[in-house]
Amino acid sequence: MTAVLALQERLDFGAVTPLKSAILGYSGQDLEIDASQVTHMGTLCLQVLIAAANDWKQAGKTFHIISPSETCKTQLALHGFSPDTLTGASPT
Amino acid sequence: MMDEDDPMAEIRASFFVECEELLEALQDGLQIMDDGEADDETINVVFRAVHSIKGGAGAFGLEELVRFAHQFESVLDGVRSGTIEADRNAISVFFQSGDILGDLVRAARDNDVADDSRIQGVMTSLTAMLGADAQTVVEEDVDDFQPMGLSLDLDLGGDNNSTPSLPDLPDLDTMSALPSTEVFEDGYTIHFLPDSSLYTSGNEPLHLLRLLREMGEVAVTCDTSALPSLSALDEEKSYLSWTIHLTTDEDEDAVRDVFDFVADLCTLTITGPGKPDPDMPPPDAPPPLSKDDIPATEAPAVTPASPPPAAQAPSDVHNSKPAASIAPMPAAPKKPAVSAPKSNKPRPTVRVDLERIDRLVNLVGELVINQAMISQSVAEAGLPANSAISEGLDEFMQLTRDIQDSVMMIRAQPVKSLFQRMSRIVREASSMVGKSVRLKTEGDATEVDKTVIERLADPLTHMIRNAVDHGIETPQDRVAAGKPEEGIVTLSAGHRSGRVIVEIADDGAGINRERVLQIAIEKSLVPENAQLSESEIDNLLFMPGFSTASKVSDLSGRGVGMDVVKSAILALGGRVTIQSNPGKGTVFTISLPLTLAVLDGMVIDVSQQTLVVPLNTITETLTLLEQDIRALGAQTNVIKVRDSFVPLLDLGFELGFRAPLGSYVGFIALLIAQEDGTHAALVVDSIQDQRQVVIKGLQDTFGRVPGVAAATILGDGKIALILDPVDVVANANGRTRSLQSNLQLAG
Repeated sequence: MTAVLALQERLDFGAVTPLKSAILGYSGQDLEIDASQVTHMGTLCLQVLIAAANDWKQAGKTFHIISPSETCKTQLALHGFSPDTLTGASPT
Repeated sequence: MMDEDDPMAEIRASFFVECEELLEALQDGLQIMDDGEADDETINVVFRAVHSIKGGAGAFGLEELVRFAHQFESVLDGVRSGTIEADRNAISVFFQSGDILGDLVRAARDNDVADDSRIQGVMTSLTAMLGADAQTVVEEDVDDFQPMGLSLDLDLGGDNNSTPSLPDLPDLDTMSALPSTEVFEDGYTIHFLPDSSLYTSGNEPLHLLRLLREMGEVAVTCDTSALPSLSALDEEKSYLSWTIHLTTDEDEDAVRDVFDFVADLCTLTITGPGKPDPDMPPPDAPPPLSKDDIPATEAPAVTPASPPPAAQAPSDVHNSKPAASIAPMPAAPKKPAVSAPKSNKPRPTVRVDLERIDRLVNLVGELVINQAMISQSVAEAGLPANSAISEGLDEFMQLTRDIQDSVMMIRAQPVKSLFQRMSRIVREASSMVGKSVRLKTEGDATEVDKTVIERLADPLTHMIRNAVDHGIETPQDRVAAGKPEEGIVTLSAGHRSGRVIVEIADDGAGINRERVLQIAIEKSLVPENAQLSESEIDNLLFMPGFSTASKVSDLSGRGVGMDVVKSAILALGGRVTIQSNPGKGTVFTISLPLTLAVLDGMVIDVSQQTLVVPLNTITETLTLLEQDIRALGAQTNVIKVRDSFVPLLDLGFELGFRAPLGSYVGFIALLIAQEDGTHAALVVDSIQDQRQVVIKGLQDTFGRVPGVAAATILGDGKIALILDPVDVVANANGRTRSLQSNLQLAG
């Protein structure tokens, strides 16, 4: 069963540790990250997401970003990513 | 939730302060344009103000502000390049745009929402001004961005209503650029590796990347090779680095400026045009997105203390700026290659938390009190005036006063920013009531205590609105009266007799006293058969519930206002008076204390009470002689002062300390000047001293006490009330003759 983790609106400096803990809590499960509410995708949180995507890929689990808000997509693009390229290497 | 210790919050706050300064410069420039005195530099100043706000807003992700500023900036660039004419209508739109920009800045600052309908209205006007150019820009953008896989998705505005498939931020800088293919060959390659300290100091690469995106076309590649597994990841450590290919017509300094603020918090190399980076993919290919596309060796090691590369020397110059300044805002689009000293460099300033200044003000207040206590002790010790300690004390007093004046100067601000806000009020108010009104300001540089300025804003706003709504006639009436169609409201400030005088004058029809009186009678504010002087009728405007508006307009006419205005000004220790000239206009004069912290006072005794009378209200003092005092009516006296008679008031009686005395011969009279130029004489028992006293407010504890402005602590530690003698005079009973003396006269 795929777990879903809904991201909070502002993924800023203060959100990094809770985000890391939350994702680690789903270790071993297929995970969908609901980014529909994201209004600020800070770089430190992005690091967490990329690291998680890599880990999940290595563990053979799926890791997807679903329903990204327009702002989320925009800010991922500014960082050089899209929701797919961020997690695209994960097996489906 | 915003943490008080959040470094980003501090930097944001600093940005908003800078925005206010930029908005002020913008208003200044627009005013010069409106006055028809603009030159090329004026347009540049206006452009740069908007550009800088946009730049800073981009750094903080204030997308709505960026979007509006961009559109405004595009039009201003059109003016700069001569494709858009800055005629009267255009300048009117610019003023509105400046207002909106201010709204958006303040909305962002206060986490508020600006009035979207107004924004859209002005946006439409700006877009219309861009006309065919705007269309061209959008089309160019489409062409430019189509090959850019990542950029195509960009929707910086987040505005779902407008062409979501197109970038909302057609970059101004590409508008006048060379054809894209030519520019593209001359792009910059930027390698950017943030140090961990960049994050911990509250900075955010996202904002920098956005700024680069705004400068032109970007191809962004992120190197993720340094990332450990999630469990090993240090949340505050920097692992990502970027390679950005930027195509822009900005010079290298402008590109470096983006990183100015973080230059010592990252490893940065910028390869300029003509020096293509061999590692970069062809610009028209879809940008690589995975770590495999960039050799891992390219990412320099994360070295928190690593100095910026030598190529960044110019940035280092900028880094000497206070940390709180907003560096990512390129103030001038085309700066010299190296930061040479600017010819018109503003004087260096430092921003200080107001709380610290207030603490200093309080300490100086205590110093003044302490100095008074020492003076008193020296006097009580009976030391001769020429003793070393007395002379030393004189110097000490002088120094105390100099320190105190200097501290007060720190708190003082020119009224200019306040007046600029009023300019907007006039524009909005006049357009709402369909009148043509221009605001003229005089004495903008007059400096007033910051608190006074802040608390003056609301009453002034209301008075300006009233002047436009009620004071200025309709264009038809003005023409019929032989006046220019455009009404003038003049707002002036100046120092007079140790007070600040602010005048709001209109060249309207003046107060219709007949109508004012009639309404006051209708509203039972005055008896039907009341016989009032012109001045008394004018003052009816300040009565609670008075309104002459026959209909409730958006502006005024709600029956509240002028009484609230008066209360607000009284609460500031000020006074407001009206002078009206039928057919010529009305002048409201507000008289305010220079500061709310200290004053020069005369320490007096009356009925065994020690009181302080503000020195600036006393024009002269005199000892009463029998021949000076003349009876007027049964209960009042006047005194003869040279060629005029002045009402005599017993301060002790007026304050309820005693009954009127039988005789005032030998007593001392303080001649009090009122705002309207008339005088009254207040009888006191004796004068102790003239000295500077520290004002301790009573309003918060006791509310407004009639005749009393505040309190102070004297040198002997006793508390003395500071009088508001004008208020005492205004509300005086006037009795200065006892019943006994009346009987004696009758007998």
